Amino acid sequence: MGEFRTLAILSKFRGLFAKLGIDYVAMETILRMKLTMDGRRVPTIFNDMRKTKDGNQFLKSLWIYGIYGVMIIPFLFIGDQYMFQMSIVFGIMMFVLTTTMVSDFSSVLLDVRDKTVLQTKPIDGRTLAAAKLIHIMLYMFFITGAFIALPLIVSLFKKGIAFTLIFIIGLAFALLFIVVFTSLLYFFVLKFFDGEKLKDIINYVQILLSVGVIVGYQIVIRSFSFVDLDVTYTFSWWHAFLPPMWFGAPFELLLNQNYATFTILFTLLAILVPLIAIFVYIKLTPSFERNLDKLMSESKNKKRKPHMLDELWVKLICRSKEEKVFFRFTALMMKQERQFKLKVYPAFGFAIIFPFIFIFTELQSRSLADISKGNTFLFIYFGSIMIPTIIHMLRFSANYKGSWIFKAAPLENPNAAYSGTLKAFLAKLYIPVFLLLSIIFIWIFGFRIAPHLVAVLLGAIVQTLLTYKMINAEPFPFMNSFETVQSDGSMKLFLLSLLTGLFVVAHLIANAITGGIYGYIAILLITLLVGWRKVFAMKPKTMH
Amino acid sequence: MDVNEKVLRLKNVTMTYGVKRVLNGINLEVERGQIIGYIGPNGAGKSTTVKIMLGLIQDYEGQVEIFGTDIASGDSSYKRRIGYVPEQAELYDTLTAMEYLVFTGELYGLERKFVEEKAQKLMEEFELGEVLHSRISSFSKGMKQKVLIISSLLHNPDLLFFDEPLSGLDANSMMIIREMLAQLAAQGKTIFYSSHIMDIVEKISNRIVLIVNGAVVADGSFEELQELSEEGSLSGIFNQLTGFTDHVSRSERIISIVEGGNADG
Repeated sequence: MGEFRTLAILSKFRGLFAKLGIDYVAMETILRMKLTMDGRRVPTIFNDMRKTKDGNQFLKSLWIYGIYGVMIIPFLFIGDQYMFQMSIVFGIMMFVLTTTMVSDFSSVLLDVRDKTVLQTKPIDGRTLAAAKLIHIMLYMFFITGAFIALPLIVSLFKKGIAFTLIFIIGLAFALLFIVVFTSLLYFFVLKFFDGEKLKDIINYVQILLSVGVIVGYQIVIRSFSFVDLDVTYTFSWWHAFLPPMWFGAPFELLLNQNYATFTILFTLLAILVPLIAIFVYIKLTPSFERNLDKLMSESKNKKRKPHMLDELWVKLICRSKEEKVFFRFTALMMKQERQFKLKVYPAFGFAIIFPFIFIFTELQSRSLADISKGNTFLFIYFGSIMIPTIIHMLRFSANYKGSWIFKAAPLENPNAAYSGTLKAFLAKLYIPVFLLLSIIFIWIFGFRIAPHLVAVLLGAIVQTLLTYKMINAEPFPFMNSFETVQSDGSMKLFLLSLLTGLFVVAHLIANAITGGIYGYIAILLITLLVGWRKVFAMKPKTMH
Repeated sequence: MDVNEKVLRLKNVTMTYGVKRVLNGINLEVERGQIIGYIGPNGAGKSTTVKIMLGLIQDYEGQVEIFGTDIASGDSSYKRRIGYVPEQAELYDTLTAMEYLVFTGELYGLERKFVEEKAQKLMEEFELGEVLHSRISSFSKGMKQKVLIISSLLHNPDLLFFDEPLSGLDANSMMIIREMLAQLAAQGKTIFYSSHIMDIVEKISNRIVLIVNGAVVADGSFEELQELSEEGSLSGIFNQLTGFTDHVSRSERIISIVEGGNADG
């Protein structure tokens, strides 16, 4: 365990902690242990990046928040419509900070090991609670600092000291609000649901963070061109339920001297709600700790009906028995393994959103009627960006050690296993996205694109097969630890995603010839039928 | 099936991980209906032997025959008659117990409906009927162990490999497993059983094989092993044959470390 500068600074306040009845030495020991462990954890925001083993990944990840901070700066320049612009600024900040808090610090709030490791030692509850709170606040402080450093400097020069001071104080209250409210949210979820539900919620927030950051970035960049500089804020009663609005109000109140009822009300909310929340939190902490036990206990026992649609797919597209087994197994794993979802669903989300982002970009220069005549529907190929990532990820599982079962079982056609897995991927992840995109695209472009969509779908299936063949690693899916995800290099994945480009080019060539698209469909169909049988060759049946 | 059929035969099996030799020429023949207690110190090569016989490890040397077929021949149908409980409770625990059992049952070629019914009945007998549709990740060690035991029995195998099958189980469940193993053996099933709990090995095995440093050092019934040694219990025999005799002086040293020193110094 190393020494931490943060702890050195914290020790300046030992006297204060002692007055509050906190055993400083014990708290410092706990914090040092926690910080050491954190140094070995990779933040969600770094999900896609290569992992380097040494050093505190957290501190190294801060620059990324610095970049998000840059996103905020333009809003400082819009003008003096504080209610409008500062609500947006606080909205962005609160989104990023809350999702980060949930995705990366839930493990701190919900660490059940604390119970067995720490609560069995002679340390009093108040010290433990303080260690927990300070641990989280330390990180949130660093993140907020990195996030807001540039905007603060800009605002100091552009808007002056008064503005900057309100900004900093507002931030402090917003931070308090986020940390306490996230904890309270967990408290209520745990009170009324079981631990599995909470883990699911956290999982979805983690996914939302990954998708939200990229999509938000795209939208913010594109929105500058049509942001109207003269928007004026008009009050509606439901704005009172949007916390970022509360934090925009003090600027309006103090700098624009707008003493309307709503600015005073919102400012009061911004100050009082975090304070009340902290009070409630302290009151509820003991029962929160009690409910944490649910995280370790058994989840509810409810029988799930076999999915009708899944069974239909199995009947339609799986031939051998092994294929069926692995189709069902893969479908379950994709639905239930949280770590897999965390790695894969962002790609899934991009596949849905990217085609539209590009169409919206087009919309800025021409009309929808104009677009619908052209070849812009080829943007649907962006749906294929998920193929390499997900096929790669199908090799990994948190339970990879359970894969002994594949070898211990008497499989006649081990080859059929991956065939079933790929079919499950296509049926459960790709085709739903493709259908959704197709319906909207047909609505925009008309039925004339129907044959093109068939070509896109067939192309995607051929691409799936090709990608598998190129990654071609183990005989069975879910056999590797996620720890080894990066060792294969993302370069290969990047190159594999370029495959989509080949299909687009082929499609364009086919499109240039009259009736060429039907020829292209025929070629794809033959390639698919021959290729699939070749890659997943079945052994002749043996007799027992 | 011939009563004296050799269920398994290992001939001079060796295994090397890198430069480390873990099996040093294992020779073993097992007949139908035997319960073999396979014991040895940590790292002696017990799990490695079992994994070789299951086909989990392929790069061994020597010959392994199960039900008369050389397992290196590439025909995996012998596995249909084997049930396996691994040492660590390793399974895809994001699935529910039912989902996992149906999955493994189907891997062994059973019909879905058939596995579902059988799994439900077995889960109820093991007092897990309540959690049939819960994720395994929320199970305790003992519950996971029961799921693995059930999954090893679904296809009614003739040969069972149980690697520490009792870890995490409560006294009542241990009793059930012990009795179950005895009855299975009486019906002609063969059980290959490894454990560190000597009392149980002593009571349930009709043959005990002790390996040390990757080689068999003792092989016979408990009575035969007793003759090799002056010790009365299997754990005494175990200590003696593995050359571990300094437990008294070692524990004395440990105690003196625990009690010694100055905490404030």
